[in-house]
Amino acid sequence: MTNMSSSSIQPSSSNNPLKAITRFVGAENLSLIIALVLLVALIASQTPFFFAPRNLMNIGMNLSVVGLLGVGMTIVIVSGALDISVGSIAGVASVVSAMLVTYAGTVLGGVAVGVLAGAILGVVNAAIITYLRVNAVVATLATLSAYRGLAFLIAPEGRPIGVLDQNFAWLGSGRILEGGGFPGIPVSLILLIIIAAIGHFVMSSTVFGRAVYSMGGNPAAARLAGINLNRMKFYIFTISGALAGLAGVLVTARTSSGQPASGTQGLELEAITAVFLGGAILAGGKGTIVGTMLAVVLLATLSNGMNLLGIPTFYQLVAKGFLLVVAVAIGQWRMARAEKTQARAAAATGS
Amino acid sequence: MGGPTGPPPFPLVSFVMTDTPVLDIRGVGKAFPNVRALSNLSFDVRRGEVMAFVGENGAGKSTLLKILSGDYQLDEGSVLLDGQEVSHASPLAARRAGFRLVRQEPEIVPHVSAAENIFVGELPQRGGVVDFRQLRADARALLVECGFDGLLDLDAQGDSFSPAQRHIVEIARALKPGVKVIAFDEPTSSLTADETERLFALIRKLRDRGLAVIYVTHRLHEVMAISDRIVILRDGRLIGVKETTATTPDEVVRMMVGRDLSYGFSRTETTRDEVVLDVRGLKSRWHRDISFQIRAGEILGFAGLVGAGRTELAKVIFGEYHRSAGEIRIAGKPAHIRTPSDAIRASIGFAPEDRKGEGLILVRSVMENASMAVFSTLARWGVLRNRMMVDTVEPLIKSLEIKTPSLEQEVGKLSGGNQQKVVLARWLAAKPKVLILDEPTRAVDVGAKAEIYRLIDSLAKSGIAIMLISSEMPELLALADRIVVMHGGRISAPIEKRDASEEAILNHALGQRAA
Repeated sequence: MTNMSSSSIQPSSSNNPLKAITRFVGAENLSLIIALVLLVALIASQTPFFFAPRNLMNIGMNLSVVGLLGVGMTIVIVSGALDISVGSIAGVASVVSAMLVTYAGTVLGGVAVGVLAGAILGVVNAAIITYLRVNAVVATLATLSAYRGLAFLIAPEGRPIGVLDQNFAWLGSGRILEGGGFPGIPVSLILLIIIAAIGHFVMSSTVFGRAVYSMGGNPAAARLAGINLNRMKFYIFTISGALAGLAGVLVTARTSSGQPASGTQGLELEAITAVFLGGAILAGGKGTIVGTMLAVVLLATLSNGMNLLGIPTFYQLVAKGFLLVVAVAIGQWRMARAEKTQARAAAATGS
Repeated sequence: MGGPTGPPPFPLVSFVMTDTPVLDIRGVGKAFPNVRALSNLSFDVRRGEVMAFVGENGAGKSTLLKILSGDYQLDEGSVLLDGQEVSHASPLAARRAGFRLVRQEPEIVPHVSAAENIFVGELPQRGGVVDFRQLRADARALLVECGFDGLLDLDAQGDSFSPAQRHIVEIARALKPGVKVIAFDEPTSSLTADETERLFALIRKLRDRGLAVIYVTHRLHEVMAISDRIVILRDGRLIGVKETTATTPDEVVRMMVGRDLSYGFSRTETTRDEVVLDVRGLKSRWHRDISFQIRAGEILGFAGLVGAGRTELAKVIFGEYHRSAGEIRIAGKPAHIRTPSDAIRASIGFAPEDRKGEGLILVRSVMENASMAVFSTLARWGVLRNRMMVDTVEPLIKSLEIKTPSLEQEVGKLSGGNQQKVVLARWLAAKPKVLILDEPTRAVDVGAKAEIYRLIDSLAKSGIAIMLISSEMPELLALADRIVVMHGGRISAPIEKRDASEEAILNHALGQRAA
């Protein structure tokens, strides 16, 4: 107590411009940006097509589905849980939205029902986790399988449903400001940016967001501070489900068909990889939407680069698994380092 | 160790008594980024003596222990153990050389027996198969020799241990063959009076057999009772080494804090009439029919042995644990409390004993931790108002004199006393009528303790009814207006301040005069 002068704990003051930037972007995010720059430089040095406007536009279009899932997954992981069922939820949403658009002829209805279906499946996840007290990983592993089956059951004869509505397709592959050599900005990317901005605001500035960080950081303390953990889990998994539903709607719009499986399988892996790469930790309490979005861009760029360089899909799958391990390993390393500094601080101040 | 025949029945070897130092600490220094933890520390510890290390938090006691145990590496100087250089030993090498640390928070394997926990890593075996009979025999012999027989069921699973039993396992682990120096880090914080006596008897026995014993604690009366010499540290420096018989607690405190500090504390008298917390006929898994009242401005102390159910009572009242019967009234009105958020709505605040585990979100900021319980009042349409948060938290930081570089500082990086104050700030922000404090000065140093006492006193003065759970008798005697003693799921009749003494409380706690 006696010698806790502020200078001993405060990081040295930052008149250094580099440090100021670091603080603004966040140290973890800065390393993501550096990684992205290096990756872009590497890819661009190997192929001239990377910087083609059309290619960049494609990257933007490709990342929006994973990006939407990443927003929800960030909230889930910061709260200390995991939702592996999002890919399957997207599959169900893809099918039901396609059915609505094709059979009922309502685009708005298709979007609404897709999102609603996702939200309902999220509520089911939350109910299993809270009422039956099943660990979130196990619960969503179970629904990963169950929801995938559900998608096939709903789709007539388990087949993809074609969607011909042009307005609906615009959501998935439309662009605005197109023309004069400029390929335009994908509508789906704009949708992602809006959702991510809302997500960032919610996580950083609302009572709900702070409660998510608190429950992830220390559930016992959060409960004793009056946070209703079960109610929070319902909100969190419902949001994750709804965003997965929206992602499923986008898949339908992109491919012009309601897909029970193809297009949504394995999305959970990419979303989870992005969140960990973006600075979150499995234990919860840490992670940001900004970090996840940077990681999503990084992953989409990598995937695009591998395609441009003609690397076969099988290798890409291996690379994706490898990346998840790397992402979590970096997180562990960071945590161990933080613990060490904390232990040192504790040792320096006594017990 | 752990060869085919297992370790000998009792491993303590009697040394030839000499006055030569067994542990020689020469000019030891250690620095962490931004902090100089130890500088130029020199002293020795002899065979057959109990050496106490005292100092406030941050004085360097823990750092020194961790250097001796091999957890940390020193930057300067050297450490000789029985003439052997151990300055840069690994934890395993330090243990082999004969240094054993009894940690404050022992690591216990949850799903194996006590006997296995004691011999973890060195189970007696025969041809690669664990010899369970030998294991039980060795473990029993060790406990008997330590004087801990009857306190620990050798077949009990690790996760069922009380804090005292965890400690017993940790002590038994240390007393394996080859021990020359044994260090106890705050060993009595979870022990009852009786267990503490047994520990002291063991320490004297070890000393008489020629071991060097290092004893680290915040409790000065224990230091005076058990030690032969006292090493006083302050800010990583050696302030002095005193013969225990040639000094007084007051002198030691003066040397520790570097200033005069009244060790006693006198509470301002305040008593108001209206009953704020009224608990009637409360029953739960741990409690049989508990009734008590706390008036506005009153501090009701809860004494009792560790494990008597005091923390559980606090959590039952706060809605964290289930209440099977009974009524809780706040300021005359029945409060329907089923969850902690109900309790907060009913104007109850609760600062739990386990500050890091249940009190704070260590990775989040001071501001967030301090405003957590009142988030919803600091927001409009669910959006937190930064200005309102700052306006709420900043005055509390000032009035509680919390030392933090900024409101954004991670709480985990503050000292123990300041962390405790952040917990208090959280509840002050909620403006409670009832405040439950569970061991509010646990692992807080002497200087900060006095500050927290003053704080609790002024909270009571402002009209809050305070339920104070403490295992430190001097703390209860200094702060509480009345004291109840919990034993066997019940509480005694309140003891008025003027009738309260350590003896009276202890008798109740041991069930010798259960009311």
